[in-house]
Amino acid sequence: MRDAGSLLVLDQVVKTFGGVAAVGGLTAHVRQGSVHGLIGPNGAGKTTVINLITGLFHPSAGSIRFNGAKLEAMAPQDIAATGISRTYQNVRLFSGMTALEQVMTGCYLRRGVSLWSSFLGLPAASSAWRSTREQALHLLDRVAMAHRADELAETLSYGEQRRIEIARALGSDPKLLLLDEPTAGMNHSEAEAVGRLVHELRDAGLTILMVEHNMSLVTAFCDSCTVMNFGRLLAEGDPKTCIADPAVQEAYFGRKNDADRIQALR
Amino acid sequence: METFLDLWAAYGSTVTFAMVNALFALSTYAVLSTGVLSFTTVVFAAVGGFLAAQLSGKFGLPLWAAFPAAALGGGFAAAVVAFAFLRLESHWMALASLALVLITRVTALNAPALTGGVNGLIVPVRVEPLELAILLALCTVVFWRLHRSWFGLASRAVREDAAVASTMGISPYRIQFIAFLISGVVGGLGGAALAFTLQFISPETYFIGIAFTMIASTVLGGSFHWLGPIIGAAVFTALPTTMQAIVPQIEDVAKGVVLLLIMIFLPRGLIDPRAWGLKKAAKLREETEAKRAAERDAHA
Repeated sequence: MRDAGSLLVLDQVVKTFGGVAAVGGLTAHVRQGSVHGLIGPNGAGKTTVINLITGLFHPSAGSIRFNGAKLEAMAPQDIAATGISRTYQNVRLFSGMTALEQVMTGCYLRRGVSLWSSFLGLPAASSAWRSTREQALHLLDRVAMAHRADELAETLSYGEQRRIEIARALGSDPKLLLLDEPTAGMNHSEAEAVGRLVHELRDAGLTILMVEHNMSLVTAFCDSCTVMNFGRLLAEGDPKTCIADPAVQEAYFGRKNDADRIQALR
Repeated sequence: METFLDLWAAYGSTVTFAMVNALFALSTYAVLSTGVLSFTTVVFAAVGGFLAAQLSGKFGLPLWAAFPAAALGGGFAAAVVAFAFLRLESHWMALASLALVLITRVTALNAPALTGGVNGLIVPVRVEPLELAILLALCTVVFWRLHRSWFGLASRAVREDAAVASTMGISPYRIQFIAFLISGVVGGLGGAALAFTLQFISPETYFIGIAFTMIASTVLGGSFHWLGPIIGAAVFTALPTTMQAIVPQIEDVAKGVVLLLIMIFLPRGLIDPRAWGLKKAAKLREETEAKRAAERDAHA
């Protein structure tokens, strides 16, 4: 059984938008403790898959199982509580919040006190707040942003905002982290740093599913991958084998014949 | 002392009304700070006002008992409203809340046993400015605590991006429901405070006038910090009276002009923590650049 050892299983997942199938019967397995790449050309439906897993969309058909829970009918906040956290393709930080406040918000699920006792400012709630604050600072330090903790996140550079978003996603102490193009807009050394962080997190027991366009990063950092095209599965398995697959090559770069014909027209 | 008494004689009622309006503005802010624009504060005020007036008039309840009753009444009304309205999208919610304000007035007009109908109600009890100040201070403490708590952080997240907040485990429905309850309690208190200040209320008391004042105060003061609505209510209440001393008959014009100026030049209101953060960042950038320029000069 492929399902054994899989933390996340997508089974024949379909998502249609007014008759157009953004995801058309995708089956995929993400192994516990691995870095799994989700790749495919633009418009393949990768971000839709992330939105389906996190509950922002609900599948039209099929099932999504995570660690024994069936996610397809759950609300986003309940899915988050099962241990899934994510970042966004276009950074979506909260306007008007400092870097530290962003990460604190990400720690909401493990605040450890009720809203009521936090409002009353009971001693236990105050000490829980302080320890969460420490954890948030530690997370900012992990993405090398601790020195910017008290600055408004929207005043920082794009790459810095992406790193804060990763720290915010780690705030809930998730089992599965979904990264939607985490290195977009980053320079090479920044992207390498994100790759190293991803490996550190995996070695600490986290499972990571990441959408990534940079093929050298995929081969360098992913343990396995799923290739999508037009909402369907194109290839699955070892990243190097997947990328070498003729069907994947064709989806990304077009057909050799087409290229020759275009060449001939010039 | 004498000058103080003179000033109080001239502006005492302005201060009193500023405090009542601050309660209405805080009630609006309570829901607005979770991303919900709702006019239902007027409804909660009507419930609290008529309840307090009847309890003190018919049953001789003292102030200290009438205010909590008004708060409970407002809170209960808010629970019903939140249950019905929170399934609507934001702009429909705003419209529905306005419709409810209209319905409330007609209902109040046609329920003379509860509200006195067109004739209104005489309220036999008066609230002293000091008592009002204590009430406002208590409410302010609640908002200050909320702002610094997990609820405050979660409500800011829900207001800025409810979808993202939900993927972090925050239930927007729960946060907005709690916000409605707070809005109801504070709105009910405001309604009672208005009843005990005017000492005469009718269905017309709790109508568009309050809606305009509370929205304007919140826009003017800013809806990103609890201090905003309080400052906004003070300025918005005091401005027409002080202007009137200089140019008579300017009251309504002044209100409109101030609102326009604020919306054009300070769209986020007088109290805006984000603007302070942006200023700080700009200053920091300037300093780093000046330092770099100095280093370059030293090398050259």
